[in-house]
Amino acid sequence: MAEVSLKHITKIYPNIEKTKKHHFGKKAAEPEKKSNLKVTDEGVVAVEDFNLDIADREFVVLVGPSGCGKSTTLRMIAGLESISGGELTIDGKVMNEVAPKDRDIAMVFQSYALYPHMTVYDNMAFPLKLRKVPEDQIDQKVRQAAETLGITQYLDRKPKALSGGQRQRVAIGRAIVRDPKVLLMDEPLSNLDAKLRNQMRAEIIKLRKRINATFVYVTHDQTEAMTLGDRIVIMKDGVVQQVGTPQEVFNEPANLFVAGFIGVPQMNFFDGHLEKTASGYVLDALDTKIAISPETGKALEAAGVTSLDVTAGVRPEQIQLANADEPGAMSGTIDVSELMGSTVHVHASVEGYDFVLVIPTIDFDGALGRSFADGAPISFKFEPNAVHFFDKASGKNIIKP
Amino acid sequence: MANQQPQTLASEARHKKILTIVFTIICVIWVLPVVCVAINSFKLNTFVKTETFALPTEESFAGWSNFITGMTFGNYPFWSAFGYSALITVLSTALILVCCSMAAWYIARVDSKFCKVIYTLCIFSMVVPFQMVMFTLSKTADTLKLNTPWTIPIVYLGFGAGLAIFMFVGFVKSIPLEIEEAAAIDGCGPVRTFFLVVLPMLKPTLISVGILEIMWVWNDYLLPYLVLDINQYRTIPIQIQYLKGSYGTVDLGATMAIILMAIIPVIVFYLSCQKYIIKGVAAGAVKG
Ligand SMILES: Nc1ncnc2c1ncn2[C@@H]1O[C@H](COP(=O)(O)OP(=O)(O)OP(=O)(O)O)[C@@H](O)[C@H]1O
Ligand SMILES: [Mg+2]
Repeated sequence: MAEVSLKHITKIYPNIEKTKKHHFGKKAAEPEKKSNLKVTDEGVVAVEDFNLDIADREFVVLVGPSGCGKSTTLRMIAGLESISGGELTIDGKVMNEVAPKDRDIAMVFQSYALYPHMTVYDNMAFPLKLRKVPEDQIDQKVRQAAETLGITQYLDRKPKALSGGQRQRVAIGRAIVRDPKVLLMDEPLSNLDAKLRNQMRAEIIKLRKRINATFVYVTHDQTEAMTLGDRIVIMKDGVVQQVGTPQEVFNEPANLFVAGFIGVPQMNFFDGHLEKTASGYVLDALDTKIAISPETGKALEAAGVTSLDVTAGVRPEQIQLANADEPGAMSGTIDVSELMGSTVHVHASVEGYDFVLVIPTIDFDGALGRSFADGAPISFKFEPNAVHFFDKASGKNIIKP
Repeated sequence: MANQQPQTLASEARHKKILTIVFTIICVIWVLPVVCVAINSFKLNTFVKTETFALPTEESFAGWSNFITGMTFGNYPFWSAFGYSALITVLSTALILVCCSMAAWYIARVDSKFCKVIYTLCIFSMVVPFQMVMFTLSKTADTLKLNTPWTIPIVYLGFGAGLAIFMFVGFVKSIPLEIEEAAAIDGCGPVRTFFLVVLPMLKPTLISVGILEIMWVWNDYLLPYLVLDINQYRTIPIQIQYLKGSYGTVDLGATMAIILMAIIPVIVFYLSCQKYIIKGVAAGAVKG
């Protein structure tokens, strides 16, 4: 049993740049520009008002671009970083001031952080030895974990003599031997090559079924987030953008950022104008008038929209090829097309907006008879239902409250 | 490499030959004094001056007599000088290694004004020559009762700390912080993190710092001479000096014998740690 609860968690790094400015003049100003983090008098706000209740045995993934505060949040849960504001509880106990070793958590680091002077066996036995577990139990647990992870034959080696994937397994092994309540992972797969990463991802899914721990997993890779997480927390510049299941964040993105971040290739965005008419809502965009379906219309009505400039978004997978003279079809020219195997990604520009279309190659027949040559004209359409509407000013999803 | 003139194999081989010869000569020059000491320690005193570079002949060979003279010379037993030298060297080096590695860990990991000041002071202490502070120091040492072989290591700690901390800080900074964080999560407090995780990783630097300190303390003459009560405690360098002084004449053969005795431990030590010395120096070069 381990529920983790974060209430109004905030992290402020004291502003070191301010004092440094006197010494270095111009140079110190640069790092501030790079990130869009809020800077207050107290310092840089790396994580702002983070609220999340994680259920027992849940797998939560924190995802977001570099520098958005994922690691900082994870490290605050681990106790490696002090909490500037808010309350962290594990199993109902307030943990803000508890030392990392007394939180009953384990962590897997991106760089593995194995002890270079110990063998694989000793690395995995170390946390147990420190907890004064009897020798025979240590041996049994280490061998069992090694078995689970398939590293039994490397137990006598030093980490130096292992490949990246093997080291990663050892790091995971060291984390799971002592049955922690909460298992924290900070980009554990990002140092592996693509193939190994897929393989390890599958193993983490298997692992999670076998052990009784609550997982908090940090990644910047949205595929990992979608495949691993029960729930995904999307962060940007220290602020949580959306919390939801993979379906929710994919189907109902809370704002433009989430819509653009989740999904490969990215959602296509274009500006338009929503207008309420007698026969329902109409989206005026890309030189076309698109009639919005009554269901969506109802939701828009509930949101109180009458006439609004919006940014509309359509996922590449939801665009179909069409004939130029079909009603609702849009026309543009192909910039580039990439054959991915089972699909072709066609990059086209329509009215100055870049569109990506994902077209399954299985459907290729002579019917539409198109070749995707650069510069060729292309026409496509999409279901009005598939369109997401975001407030042009704030970027918020208009329909999702 | 890329912009080097292409060389024929023959000329490359010739280069190698020349280099071999040059370095052989340098090596010979380098070890010549040591060899001279070794040769002369087996020669009768009268032959040391006249046939300095010659091997001992039947006529000049002294057997072990120089060693016996040297060791029983004067009224101070050689073995106690040897013992005090060893005691001071071992204690000082141990103290420097333990204290400086801990201090360096703190300095490298804690980001505060205090640490920066301490670090700067340590670096600065390397620049101050011993001769500048030696008289005030010997007075202070007397007052604080640091004038025995058991307490003089504290003085050595003060003088050795600069270089040691400098080297340790450089190395600690190259250790990823995450390893220590992993230790903290696995259940180590600061003390266990240091002794179970950081210290073993510092091994290469411990060895190179240890070697430097051992060589320095073992061979040091001025500091023990000024600080220790000479009638009671002598180290080998002081004892050698007394061999020379007492009668006005110098028994060179006996002096050579004792110098040889003083060098041998260092050589044995070097040979037994050679593997680590090279490793440690290389580690320092990359990461320092
Ligand atoms: N000691 C510090 N002082 C000031 N700012 C810091 C400090 N440590 C981190 N930050 C800032 O906090 C922000 C969040 O950092 P964090 O490491 O959590 O990012 P992240 O989301 O894990 O990014 P990545 O994907 O690159 O690992 C960054 O913008 C970083 O610049
Ligand atoms: Mg990170």
